[in-house]
Amino acid sequence: MGNGVLRFAPLLLLPLLGSCGKGDWQLSEARKNVVMIEVTAQTWDYRLPWNPGTVSSARGAGFVIDQKRIITNAHVVSGARYLTVQREADPRKYPAKVKFVAHDCDLAMVEVEDPDFYKGTTDLKIGGIPDLESVVSVYGFPIGGDRLSVTRGVVSRIDYNSYTHSGRESHLAIQIDAAINPGNSGGPVMQNDKVVGVAFQGFRGDVAQNVGYMIPTPVIRRFLKDVEDEKYDHYVDIAIRWMALENPAMRKYYHRPNDGLGVVVTDIFSEGSSDGVLEKGDVLLSIDGHPIESDGSVRLDGQPVQLEEIVERKFAGDTVELEVWRNQSAEKKSITLRPAEMFSMYEVLYEEAPRYVLYGGLVFQPMTANLMAGLLGSADLRLRQTYTLFGQDQLYRETPEPVILTSVLPDRSNVYLVGLAGQIVKEINGKRIRTLADVVPALELGGEKTVIHFEGDQRPAVLKKKEVDQVMPRIMAQYGISETKRTELGDRRLAKGSFKKEGESR
Amino acid sequence: MRWFYLILGCWAFTCVMGAEDEDSRGSLVRVRASIQPYDQFRPWQKKSPYGLNGTGVVLPGGKVLATAALVANRTEVGLEKPGSAEKCAAEVEAIDYEANLALLQPTDKNFLKGFSGVVLGPALRAGDKTEVWQLERNGEMLQNQAEILSAGVGRYPSDEAGFLLYGVRVSLPKRDDSYTLPLMKDGQLAGMMMGYDRDSQEGTAIPIPMIEHFLKDAADGKYEGFPTLGVSWSTLRDPNLREEVMAPKSGGLLLTRVNPRGTAGRAGLKEGDVLLSVDGFKLDEDGNYRDSLYGPTAVGNLIRTKPTVGSVARFRISRNGKEMDLTGTYDRKAREEVSIPTLQFDQAPKYLVVGGLVFQELTGVYLQEWGDKWSERAPQRLVEYFSFQQEKRPDPEKKVVFLSQVLPSPITLGYQQLSGLVLEKMNGHEINNLPDLAKAVDGISSGDIVFEFRDEPGKLILQADGLPAISEKIGKDYGLPALRRL
Repeated sequence: MGNGVLRFAPLLLLPLLGSCGKGDWQLSEARKNVVMIEVTAQTWDYRLPWNPGTVSSARGAGFVIDQKRIITNAHVVSGARYLTVQREADPRKYPAKVKFVAHDCDLAMVEVEDPDFYKGTTDLKIGGIPDLESVVSVYGFPIGGDRLSVTRGVVSRIDYNSYTHSGRESHLAIQIDAAINPGNSGGPVMQNDKVVGVAFQGFRGDVAQNVGYMIPTPVIRRFLKDVEDEKYDHYVDIAIRWMALENPAMRKYYHRPNDGLGVVVTDIFSEGSSDGVLEKGDVLLSIDGHPIESDGSVRLDGQPVQLEEIVERKFAGDTVELEVWRNQSAEKKSITLRPAEMFSMYEVLYEEAPRYVLYGGLVFQPMTANLMAGLLGSADLRLRQTYTLFGQDQLYRETPEPVILTSVLPDRSNVYLVGLAGQIVKEINGKRIRTLADVVPALELGGEKTVIHFEGDQRPAVLKKKEVDQVMPRIMAQYGISETKRTELGDRRLAKGSFKKEGESR
Repeated sequence: MRWFYLILGCWAFTCVMGAEDEDSRGSLVRVRASIQPYDQFRPWQKKSPYGLNGTGVVLPGGKVLATAALVANRTEVGLEKPGSAEKCAAEVEAIDYEANLALLQPTDKNFLKGFSGVVLGPALRAGDKTEVWQLERNGEMLQNQAEILSAGVGRYPSDEAGFLLYGVRVSLPKRDDSYTLPLMKDGQLAGMMMGYDRDSQEGTAIPIPMIEHFLKDAADGKYEGFPTLGVSWSTLRDPNLREEVMAPKSGGLLLTRVNPRGTAGRAGLKEGDVLLSVDGFKLDEDGNYRDSLYGPTAVGNLIRTKPTVGSVARFRISRNGKEMDLTGTYDRKAREEVSIPTLQFDQAPKYLVVGGLVFQELTGVYLQEWGDKWSERAPQRLVEYFSFQQEKRPDPEKKVVFLSQVLPSPITLGYQQLSGLVLEKMNGHEINNLPDLAKAVDGISSGDIVFEFRDEPGKLILQADGLPAISEKIGKDYGLPALRRL
């Protein structure tokens, strides 16, 4: 249906070339608090998951708010191994560390230990949503020089939009026509000496001009509130799909008058917030008291926004009150919100080291967005389809995390297995493989042989356990691998343990 | 579908002007085909027409052999004598898109009178010298020297099947009527050229055994096609795998899927069996048999080119370490008794317009309309049904009916963006094909028509009252010649 003509340029990071800076003038409120962030980050290589990955440096922006907190984009500090911040009024570079990172809304908080850094900062205040057509100023350190840059533009559009850093999230975003370029990321967008947004993404020049996006203050405030308990949780999701109730025959079918209100629920994701509460065919009439228009919008602060925006501002454990039209009568339904963990596969991972299991040259990896990004063009049709239809077909109920035989490191012991790379593992020694955690115990099952079955009409792989034990040291030495596996989940995914277990007991 | 185009702008002359003897004069005829494929995305219309010009081989008896690619999606086919402008319409008597061969019959029986025709020569082997013949504008013959580089099972342009194929090295000058060209040896037909790359100066040709099979099949007026086993298999070189499936010391293939409707399935072969021999020919662990002419050759040639539909198939298998013999009959059921047909050229796509909703039946040709990367571009659900038919739609009676697009109108308000949705039910009745749906829709004159789809949004509703008139109006507004073709 949708053909993505326009492509977002997700990362507005500027690769580091060299920099200098010095100054001691009368500075505006914004200029006192804007910081340049220089980051050295490490990116994992999912094709060689045992390697530490590549190191690169880049530059972004940030700003100081109250309680000595520095706000920037998640993508500025993703995978940071070393970072420094610097203010316009102080030439020193202060080492800093990432306190919280929220990849789903592309925000992060950084802090500097040295109190000297904060001398002369005045704590920027966070404002509201700027009006359409009103003028805003963008501060940052974009391409074209090393000193602070300020550009100006008007608010062009306020809408739900995809946040490309995580790859799966959509939140409220504000489009502005000020020039936003690599290096602007994380910089404040100001109006009347208040922060009204954080510059974070744009379009590449060949598809559109003067289209930049900033993260609006409701998203920033939500982030700040979320981390009040010293840890960042994920966004929550109502986990349904709905359809606009615009068609007259459709309205009549659902016994709704032609009042332009209500949307119909078309799908409910199992294990999601609405599972067991809503039903297909329910008509949603209002959410937390806001009437839902037939196109799915609600009025919030005078602005029409998608109904999800109400959910967006809430936290795990919060409830949302819905008025639902079912069996020709209105009912009140209360939904306790939780993150949509079943879709986390589509989320690009930044901090977590790639997980894998190596067995006789066979490399097993879980299906992740990072892995698939490198594979999609070349991947086998079944693999591609499993990934694309994973959420839609709720495949997570069966296999929360499909395991792929991603490669076979050639060795004389496995010459006949090389052609099996790219297949999805179905069973190992008779045990159904549903997550990577199943692989190691399953490999120990059975007798002298390990038999691996794949999805589809592939031949099985058969290995002799004794032989595998013998060849492992050779293969590891040859390919420079020090560990046979990395199966522990990262922090973010640990929180999801409950989901995984729930899936397993089915 | 990627047909190979022969000779486009090749001026490298390494050809030899041939002797203009009577033999060669009476052997070739120009074939002019007017092509106009159906527009799969607008199934009520055809795409813009174009012409293809090839060279056909006159066979003794006055029929003409050409490639199927030359006449696929034709509106008409004409023959023209070389050296004169005499023309005659021709009918396609038999056509095989898998094997890329077509047999044409001039409508005027006397048109090719005086043509002696070309007889089929022997099968060739790698290293054999041969010629590719072309017609000059004045009707003279160009005989380009060629060499057979390889003879083995390879992919045919339809991409659907592997058959015996010659690799040919030849330097062909650019000439008209070169879409199809004959491969000749000592004045006899040795094959039909079907692809040529002028950069590498290499091409592919359909060999004589294929042509023989095709002509033999067509001779009785009822064309049946090349048989197929209906199995997926894996090689059995891996000693660990051999041990696991209890295969004998050497030879054999592992069957990884057996279509129960196919030749093998009906003969009793099962997934996990090791296929040791077919019709008395032993198979090695790479899937080759020893051909008397070509030496080790892929099993595809043995099971598809050698037997004919209806002939007896004999298998020796090993099942759980026990060897046994099974017998069956060769057929094409695994290919023809399917939910989603693949090579449906020439056939008008079925469709049904109901109040602006356009329904179609899924075919391989529809998916290919999405271009080379159809498997990425086409709606993924349709790709899934097509590619994993054995798992998703094993029942050939259950066609895949889908909403292909919505023509915006007041009654489709809110539905305009929908496409590629597989229809499952209408008002609670399971829909197994497009005529089913038409009948069901026609039977309702009031109340709601509820379409239930496989995927979200799940249900779409139309009001039945006055629907025929509304459909008529939509048809008129969009200029559709008809609202249905079932």
